[in-house]
Formats: sequence, structure tokens, C-alpha cells
Amino acid sequence: MMSSVSIVPIEGTLVVTVRGDLADQDATDLPNVLGDALEVFRARGILLDLSVVETVDSFLGRVIDDIARLTRLLGARTVVVGLQPAVAITITELGLQLQGVATALNVEIGMSMLRDVIGRQYQ
Amino acid sequence: MKDTFSPQSVRTSNDLPLPIIQVWDGVLVLPLLGALDANQAQDLSETLLRKIVETGSGVVILDVTGVPSIEAGAAKSLVDTVSAARLLGSDVLIVGLHTRTALTFVHLGVDPAQLPTETTVARGMRAAFARVGLEVVARKSTIAAQPGVAITP
Amino acid sequence: MNPLPSEQRVPIAAEVDIILARKAAREAAKALGFGMVDQSRIATAVSELVRNVIRYANDGQGEMIVRAIRDPKRGNGIEIIVKDDGPGIANPSEALRDGFTTGRGLGLGLPGARRLMDELVLDSGLGRGTTVTTHKWCH
Repeated sequence: MMSSVSIVPIEGTLVVTVRGDLADQDATDLPNVLGDALEVFRARGILLDLSVVETVDSFLGRVIDDIARLTRLLGARTVVVGLQPAVAITITELGLQLQGVATALNVEIGMSMLRDVIGRQYQ
Repeated sequence: MKDTFSPQSVRTSNDLPLPIIQVWDGVLVLPLLGALDANQAQDLSETLLRKIVETGSGVVILDVTGVPSIEAGAAKSLVDTVSAARLLGSDVLIVGLHTRTALTFVHLGVDPAQLPTETTVARGMRAAFARVGLEVVARKSTIAAQPGVAITP
Repeated sequence: MNPLPSEQRVPIAAEVDIILARKAAREAAKALGFGMVDQSRIATAVSELVRNVIRYANDGQGEMIVRAIRDPKRGNGIEIIVKDDGPGIANPSEALRDGFTTGRGLGLGLPGARRLMDELVLDSGLGRGTTVTTHKWCH
């Protein structure tokens, strides 16, 4: 999996970049891997960069949804950035709900969102 | 100096220009005129989403004040566009629905909570500014700043 | 628009073929002049259909066929056939409705693919495998 997913810890957040096509087994393992990584790096947020992903089908959509839910239960948050317009339209027409998934226009806004939400948890 | 008011005309397959206007950093306005059919709505979708990414706009005001009717297929397309924009991290606000055009959405079974609207462009702008974290503040009062006062040189 | 070779066949035997099949479909769509969004729709529909073969057909053996097609009224398009020799679907019309699933999942595969393509015909029955024929036209 490490050839198709990179995980970089930055300021208490994991910047996770999915590079292109993810094999089904790697996709299935991803929520697990990220959950463990949150613990290992003591991170409170995940920035999931999908800018290089050309196809999101119902299977990958479910994985993304699972990641969002899992991180929430672990006291963290996930923000998705970089979806390509063609992919966004396809996901919508496919009928994938993804309602629990927060999204941001770019990495800066995504990091800022995560800082806000994580910050609020300490008030 | 940055030109913050630049109408960007994009051609649809019908060769009608699509005026997507960046009225402020992060705020786009797209005024539509005339009846909207399914093909136009599809073209609009892709063009608008690309513009959102290109300009990094968190809010789009889609003004349908001048649209008397919307085909059911076009309405479905618009709803999909709103959802797709949200996936990109942008909010599309539909402004200026009339009873007739609003009913088209009602008949589609749309959940109003998923389709944010405002009644006027002015209200839409206020909501847009709030969304991008801005507010409009009056300058210290001078004659020139009084509305309704025209200064002759 | 470049002409396609008369047809392309991609065997479906293992999980890795899902990615190969959708790449082949995307390339073919691109060669036929489909825009980015349609390429995405086609690749995603193929992903759904081919994954169904891997998951639900015996041994997951099947085949995808991609062809350029032409219709006097609708012009140029792409035909994608995904078939397998699996157990078949007992109730094909049920399978096309959202929510129907034979395993873990949302059941979006087949109805989802139908929404993304212009036409989708499901030919299946217990004991005679499944053939899904889909078309998309260049608009």
C-alpha cells in the first residue's frame, strides 16, 4: 500500500495522499492503517488528498465514508481535499451519499478547518 | 492591481455564453436568463465546477431570478451540481426561485435542507460574505460616502 | 476522433483486472472523443460492473468487451459488455433497483452503472451467467 498512499504528519494532522488507483485490498485496509497512524503519531486530524484519484466508485466511496466515521469515533476529524470536478459529478450521479464527509477546496483551507474543529474540542 | 470584477464568458454546447462573475475573492455569481433545459444545465455543471476549483471559490450565487421555468431534468442537474460543489468544498446558493420554479424542485422530491436558497441576490451576497468570513463596514462618514449624494466635479 | 480497433477484450479473472478494465475503458472513451466527465462516468460504471463479476461470479471469471458504435440518429458512441459464467441473478429486475445487494455493500453497483451510462441491458438468469450491455453516446 505504501506505494499508493503516503502519510505525512504535519502539526498534529496526517496529510494522506492517495496516489492514483488503489487496489481493493489496500482500500479495505486503509481505514485500519489510518486509525493506527492517528494513534502512533498522536494526530487529531486527517487531510485526505484525493487530487490524483481519477475514479471513485461505490467501493472507494464507502471506504472514504468509513474513514470519516472511524476518525470521528477516535476523537479526530477527516477533511477531504482535491476531488476533481469530473469525479465529484460522477460520485453525485452514482448516488453516493458521503454526507458525513467534510470537504475543503484546498490544503490550506482544509488544515484551517481541522485546526478550528480540533481547537474547539479543547474549550 | 487585481481585477475583482471580471465577467468570464464560457460557451456551452449551445454556444450561449455562461457569465460566471467573480465578484469578490472566493465568491462567484452566475446569473441565468431564460428557460433552462437539461442540456444547458449539464454543461453549466461542469463549467461551473471547474471555475470553482480554478478560482478557489467557497461560495457560488446561482441567480435564477430571470428563469421563468426549469425542466425537471435541468432541476435534477442543478441539484447534482449543488451536491458536487459541496464535495469540492464549495456552497452553491440558489437565488431568486419563483413559485413555479420552486415547485419543479418540490416535485423532484428534493430535501430543502440540501438546497440552500435566498430570495434576492443582495441577501445572497450577505450570506456569501459571512460564509467567507467577511463583513461590509461603513467608512467614517464624509459627504462622498452618503448614499443619494452625487458629487459634481 | 480516432477510430478504435474493431473491439477490445479484457479478461476478468482477478481483482487487479478491475483497474485494468477501467483504464482500458477510459482510454477507449478518450479516443472516441468523450469529454472528461463522460470518461469518468464510463470508467466508474465499468468499475462497478467488473467488480460485480469478481465478487459474485464463481471463480470471478468473465470478460469485458469495448467497441465503438454508431447510430444514424445518435451518432458515435461506445459499447461496453461485461459478462461472466457465474451463477446468474435470479431476479434481474430486482438487481437494478437501489439497495439490492447480494453481499456487504450499498447495492449501488448495477443501478449506479445504469445511471452513469445512457443505456444498460441486463441479461441474466439462474445457471446461465450474466451479460450486461451498456452504451454511451457522444453528445
